[in-house]
Amino acid sequence: MATDRVLLVDDEKDFVEVLAERMRSRGLEVTCATSGREAISAVEAQTFDAVLLDLAMPDLDGLETLRRLHEIQPELQVMILSGRATVKTAVEAIRCGATDIFEKPTDVETLVKRIKAARATRIAHEDDVAEEHIEEILRKRGW
Amino acid sequence: MGDDHRRPWQREGVLFFGDVIAGLSHELSNVFNIINEMAGLQQDILAGAQPKSADAADRLSELAGRIKAQVERGETLNQSLHSLAHSVDDANIAFDLGDTLELVSSLAARRARLARVELVVHRPESPVTLEGDPFVLLLTIYESIVAVVGAADSERRVEVSAAQHDSGAQVFITSADPLPPGVADEIAALEIGHLSWGAVHTLDPPFPEPPGRIILDVPAVAPALNAPADEEGQEDPDGN
Repeated sequence: MATDRVLLVDDEKDFVEVLAERMRSRGLEVTCATSGREAISAVEAQTFDAVLLDLAMPDLDGLETLRRLHEIQPELQVMILSGRATVKTAVEAIRCGATDIFEKPTDVETLVKRIKAARATRIAHEDDVAEEHIEEILRKRGW
Repeated sequence: MGDDHRRPWQREGVLFFGDVIAGLSHELSNVFNIINEMAGLQQDILAGAQPKSADAADRLSELAGRIKAQVERGETLNQSLHSLAHSVDDANIAFDLGDTLELVSSLAARRARLARVELVVHRPESPVTLEGDPFVLLLTIYESIVAVVGAADSERRVEVSAAQHDSGAQVFITSADPLPPGVADEIAALEIGHLSWGAVHTLDPPFPEPPGRIILDVPAVAPALNAPADEEGQEDPDGN
């Protein structure tokens, strides 16, 4: 059985390292990034079931990172994990396509459950795309 | 009526408090969140490992060290909050400029980090005693640093230093690279120090060259302490 793959993005190195270790011990495959630019490079290089993204980061903030991640992979499931998300930033994040907003501290079991659900959603989406593709081929060939 | 000239900088002071406290509070939350995850990891280790496993003991010991480092970080942030709170205790005292620079450094650290600028503050080699409202000077130096940090390219270094000059002091805010010309307007808009301390900013080199550093001339005694009062008893900030 394939592993759930998650990208953790937070400029607090200690935070991502420890949370990553806790998630790995629960069977997830975790990649860490400590900046928006690192996150973009990681998403360009491989597929993730979900991204857990902080909002307040130097250089590229979370919202800008979210926009750029969706330019690369529009169906990517990005969840915000932030210490101080205001209503305004939460609304903006949802507008930009974030699927969930979690406020720190969030129980690791809740996060893991949500990441596993994200994987199921991604696979279902891929199945839909594949089905549409097959139907298109069948239509074109008149079968 | 007599305190009207104080209103603009009092408003600036409130905005400054809001901005700095929000930043420090965010940093403290980061510390708590890290400690929270470390405590969770300790529980994970204890739940999964044999009670006397040497490996688990090593991991727990390593985590204890990392928790201690985060607690120290939190205590430093808390000390900055404490010093900031007491910076408004007395509007007319003698104080050391080096202490003000150190506090400014800790308060501006988050702004610098978010701008990816390395901020380095040097205390004067010998104590420089000034007399007046330390909060007003703190505000003036902070806003000058924020203007320079905001204008500097990321991954660059900004240094702050000070020295005795005549009977007062000079504070130098130096960028490793020339700053964009727009910073001159931002600096010119910083009237708070001028109004309340008679502190004057100059650009080095002067306009129209792109400035590499800002020099803040600070009199030893804030004019508000000894400025002549007008007929209504209002102190004239320009001493006229």
